Amino acid sequence: MLTFWEQFPIVFSALNEGFVQTLKLFFITLLGALPLGLLISFCSMSKFAPLQKLTRMIIWIVRGSPLMLQLLIIFFGPGLLFGVPIWGGGESGRFTAAAVAFIINYACYFSEIYRSGIESIPHGQYEAGQVLGMTKRQIFFKVTLLQMVKRIVPPMSNEIITLVKDTSLARIIALQEIIWAGEAFTTTSHGISGQVWPLFFTGVYYLAFNGILTILFSKLEKKLDYFKI
Amino acid sequence: MAFLQVNHIEKHFGSTKVLENISFSMEKGQVLAIIGSSGSGKTTLLRCLNFLETPGSGQIVLNDEVLFDGETYHAISDEEQRKKRLHFGMVFQSFNLFPQYTALQNVTLAPSLQKKQSAEEIDALGKSLLKKVGLENKMDFYPCQLSGGQQQRVAIARALALHPDILCFDEPTSALDPELTGEVLKVIKGLKGGDSTMIIVTHEMEFAKNVADRIIFMADGVIEEEGTPDEIFGNPKSEKIKAFLAKSLETI
Ligand SMILES: Nc1ncnc2c1ncn2[C@@H]1O[C@H](COP(=O)(O)OP(=O)(O)OP(=O)(O)O)[C@@H](O)[C@H]1O
Ligand SMILES: [Mg+2]
Repeated sequence: MLTFWEQFPIVFSALNEGFVQTLKLFFITLLGALPLGLLISFCSMSKFAPLQKLTRMIIWIVRGSPLMLQLLIIFFGPGLLFGVPIWGGGESGRFTAAAVAFIINYACYFSEIYRSGIESIPHGQYEAGQVLGMTKRQIFFKVTLLQMVKRIVPPMSNEIITLVKDTSLARIIALQEIIWAGEAFTTTSHGISGQVWPLFFTGVYYLAFNGILTILFSKLEKKLDYFKI
Repeated sequence: MAFLQVNHIEKHFGSTKVLENISFSMEKGQVLAIIGSSGSGKTTLLRCLNFLETPGSGQIVLNDEVLFDGETYHAISDEEQRKKRLHFGMVFQSFNLFPQYTALQNVTLAPSLQKKQSAEEIDALGKSLLKKVGLENKMDFYPCQLSGGQQQRVAIARALALHPDILCFDEPTSALDPELTGEVLKVIKGLKGGDSTMIIVTHEMEFAKNVADRIIFMADGVIEEEGTPDEIFGNPKSEKIKAFLAKSLETI
């Protein structure tokens, strides 16, 4: 039986490995969902009614059902439906499936945040730009964009902090993120058996990372504090 | 031909007729005040002149240039419309300043986007306009740091920066506390006599009487009466305007 101080480095490196997967999923989701969300928000505000209705329906379904279920459907669905698993085997296949599920899910949440930000800009701002002879582009980039950003930052930071924690859901399809790595020690992993503390210790990673994000977001909020809308 | 000629403007929102057969004209350097009760279409008329609304029919002719003609309207491109719009300036009831810019930046933003002058010229223009409206020591303040009256004066400077042929005001003081209306009205009055041509929608009857060269009284989407301040206030003809004036003089 290894002492705690003998276990620690082994656990530490295993958890680090899991946390890399967690971070990868986190950043890939942001990279995909931030722009996709913007696209979805434009569709959900489209003047073309069928597109608008369809988009809002999809958003409703995605936001109204558990992400865990969406992960399972996206991972197993194609195989069950067409008889061909499209994700490929192994960790990289699971990762791709998880990333797709997360991007779709978070893009829908982000799209609603974008939409509320865009819709919160008073119409008078556009009109003031128009009577000053600005083009639509100029009004967007020079007048409304920063006001939208200011509106969006607080709800966005909430959502992004939730995403950090939500990445742990990916272990339902056996993605080897940090909770998965910690849980493995409760049975046997890296020669250590029946230990619960590594699982609890994963909380430290989440707290540290979310602490950094919180600081960054509040800095950004402060930066935009100089004006009021 | 008059400087501004508005002919038979009509505007409907769905089935509601908001403007009916509006025709008037004004000369360069004149101040025209538009009065009338709530819902009579004053704002809509100003918005038509600024191309924020498109009239259903009629004509707007400025300085012999046809800016709008209901018959040929569909042929106008965005770019053309922007050019035509620049003949008019607009000061809104609710200021609509850009919150993320300082007073000076609010004034200089549009000219600097047009790139017709150098940055130094635009900066000097902005400063002189803010000085003109009495805000030379508030140039670097953000709108949220200014009182309503100061914000409205920035908005006036902002509209002047593009040298519009005609500057329109939509109840420029009605969103202000009573003690702040004076400073704004004084600025507007100060613009008179220069080469500023102005159309002012207002509920301040004293102001209209003192500043306007001509007054239009609107009721239910039509021009009910038009004349000099003396005619309108001294010798109103229609029953509607008599009732309106009696009401506006009522003290509560
Ligand atoms: N976008 C719109 N859609 C439908 N109806 C409108 C619209 N804008 C204005 N109206 C209607 O047009 C009429 C005239 O409105 P307008 O704002 O021009 O009046 P006003 O004379 O400026 O009134 P106030 O003194 O209250 O500002 C009102 O009955 C109003 O309800
Ligand atoms: Mg009005």
